[in-house]
Amino acid sequence: MNESIKEQLESTFKAVVVNILEDSRIVVDVKKEQVLTVLKFLKDRNFDHLALVSCVDWIEEKEFELVYILTGYMQGEKEYTGQERLHLIVKTRISRQSPQFETVTGIFQNAEPYEREIHELFGVKFEGHKRLTPLFLERDYEIPPFRKDFDTRQYVQDVFDKIPFVENNDK
Amino acid sequence: MDRNQITKWLKAPAKMANKYSLHAIYFCTGCGIIEVPPVITARWDAERFGIIPVATPRQANLFLITGYVSVKTLKAIIRTYEQMLEPKYTVGFGSCPINGGMYWDSYNTIKHLDKYIPIDGWIAGCMPRPEAIFIAVTHLWTLIEKGMANGYVRYKENYEFYRKNQEMALGKLDWPALYQINSDSKAVEYE
Repeated sequence: MNESIKEQLESTFKAVVVNILEDSRIVVDVKKEQVLTVLKFLKDRNFDHLALVSCVDWIEEKEFELVYILTGYMQGEKEYTGQERLHLIVKTRISRQSPQFETVTGIFQNAEPYEREIHELFGVKFEGHKRLTPLFLERDYEIPPFRKDFDTRQYVQDVFDKIPFVENNDK
Repeated sequence: MDRNQITKWLKAPAKMANKYSLHAIYFCTGCGIIEVPPVITARWDAERFGIIPVATPRQANLFLITGYVSVKTLKAIIRTYEQMLEPKYTVGFGSCPINGGMYWDSYNTIKHLDKYIPIDGWIAGCMPRPEAIFIAVTHLWTLIEKGMANGYVRYKENYEFYRKNQEMALGKLDWPALYQINSDSKAVEYE
């Protein structure tokens, strides 16, 4: 199963790097232009569940890495057993200076909250996303707080530590 | 009933009744809430101490804050606290409400909960054992008896400053002030 997916991916797409990890996980490194077609290709081959969209901040390389984790529940006509389930990890790099990417909500609808979360915590803008509104955060942050250059300690000193105690704590 | 407490009952029956019937609202924040189900059920049986969990803040007078307090949670904590019946007692459970605990440099976690609402007692630890809740409750009994568990009185007295701190953390609050703020009433007089 692993090998057949690897062969299919490598024969269909150019410049796709497929690595098979030990525990039934396959890592697919793709270029950012290819992401939508690769995801569509995989969805047609029974990887129909998008488990997670995640983001990694590689600050030294000045890039964000978007991670799409796909699994399939039904393998064709066969009955589902947890044994043969594959996890497919699609990775891509985008620029950190102007973090923009296309939304994948057209293919996987459940990517919507994940993309909103990444938009809020990393500041990546997803073009074509219909509802990029705030999701979790209550306060306004100058730099999105999950970026590596957001200094949490400085922020805590500037905001929460400046709030005074109401009563004298020595009592 | 303990026989040598009869004089206490006769002197201040209301205080003794308060002491032995604490109705607790468990605010399910953070990981501390996992210690509460064994406490209120048969294993440790909090009803031996007169503690019973209730459904809503309007029936409660003991507030257990069991874990880290994020900015969003703080809003809910303040609203819950303001709805509770007087006399009301608050206990911070675990090290996170005390000084942030392991979230002391988080972008979104409130350190020092006592800047925003008055706290009558703390249970330190990460996590405290369920027995620590009962130790805290027996301490709270002594405090109630001596009239030292007066967080709700201090809240009323210092409401202006508490409200100011709450606004510093949360921005503009979208609910009205619980008590009249003194500086406002002065401004009205001068007009």
